[in-house]
Amino acid sequence: MESNPSEIQVIWVYLSGSPLLALFLTLAAYHVGVVAYEKSGRNPVVNPVAIAVALVAVAITLIDMPYAKYFDGAQFVHFLLGTATVSLAVPIYRGLAGLGSRIIPLLVAQLAGGATSIISAVSIAALLGATPEVVGGFYAKSVTAPIGMGIAERLNVSPTLTAVFAVCTGILGAILGRFVLDFVGSKAWWQRGFALGIAAHGIGTSRAFSVNKEAGTYASLGMGLNGVIGAVLIPIAVGYFR
Amino acid sequence: MIGGLVQILFFQGLGELVSKLVVPLIPGPVIGLILLLAFLAIRKSVPQGVDVVASTLVQHLGLLFVPAAVGVVLFWPQLKAQAVPVAAALVVSVMLTVAVPALLLRMMAGDEGDGK
Repeated sequence: MESNPSEIQVIWVYLSGSPLLALFLTLAAYHVGVVAYEKSGRNPVVNPVAIAVALVAVAITLIDMPYAKYFDGAQFVHFLLGTATVSLAVPIYRGLAGLGSRIIPLLVAQLAGGATSIISAVSIAALLGATPEVVGGFYAKSVTAPIGMGIAERLNVSPTLTAVFAVCTGILGAILGRFVLDFVGSKAWWQRGFALGIAAHGIGTSRAFSVNKEAGTYASLGMGLNGVIGAVLIPIAVGYFR
Repeated sequence: MIGGLVQILFFQGLGELVSKLVVPLIPGPVIGLILLLAFLAIRKSVPQGVDVVASTLVQHLGLLFVPAAVGVVLFWPQLKAQAVPVAAALVVSVMLTVAVPALLLRMMAGDEGDGK
């Protein structure tokens, strides 16, 4: 039987108009990413988020779906970012419990690390001639993406660029972190983990967990502190300097 | 589990409200996070439902920023044209951001604790 092209068109219009297609694409692409990540033995180069973003980007380009239309459907996933941000209170609470005398050095290290991240990235990008719009994406790139995007919105810079730079930063940190830590002679697991959590947030944290449990716990604490303190201080600092 | 979701959504809503009315500079969910953290500290434990929902969401955090990050398609021409400054800023900055806290912690606390 010959299929009726107009009928297919009707179904296609219906499907691409409902959130189903965008949701399916997003979840399927992420699932492929996670499976590939597990298969690779959790190699940080095979990052599930980067794979998912690339697959969805290619897919919507191929089917000629404008980004705004895709986002319209995928916004249900996007909404949960806020809920997930609130949920970070649980790992932070667990990390803070039983910290004892380490709290002061950790806070000092966090403040210095957060400042290093924003100053180095913004000045390098600006000096090498990046446009102000792109430079804006670096303000919150070391902050875990859900919080970083919230900060970006408040600063009127692109949350998208912030998320993309955050993912790249996480992957780079997970790959390069151990060499940098060995180079500076860092030995204690809690110190190595914390530094990685500050620099490479969620992706660095999962990397730290796969190497050592204590490193992972301190990495999630570093990520959480960096997010909360960054959300307060980054808008103030950026507002002051620009 | 539903109870936990209700509690987390409650704190998210509370955070949005405080953000709108009191401190517009800080994103609502971050205020929600701080309020939930205070609640947990006062309660001195994590309610089981909250634990289940929070663990699930935090575990799949990566999925949640896929829709926003796909927006990279809109910035692609710009990023391609500025590949050198972008790549340099990303690589150098992340290395410095690992090195500085690690060095400071070592100076302040030495090598105490389990190490590699």
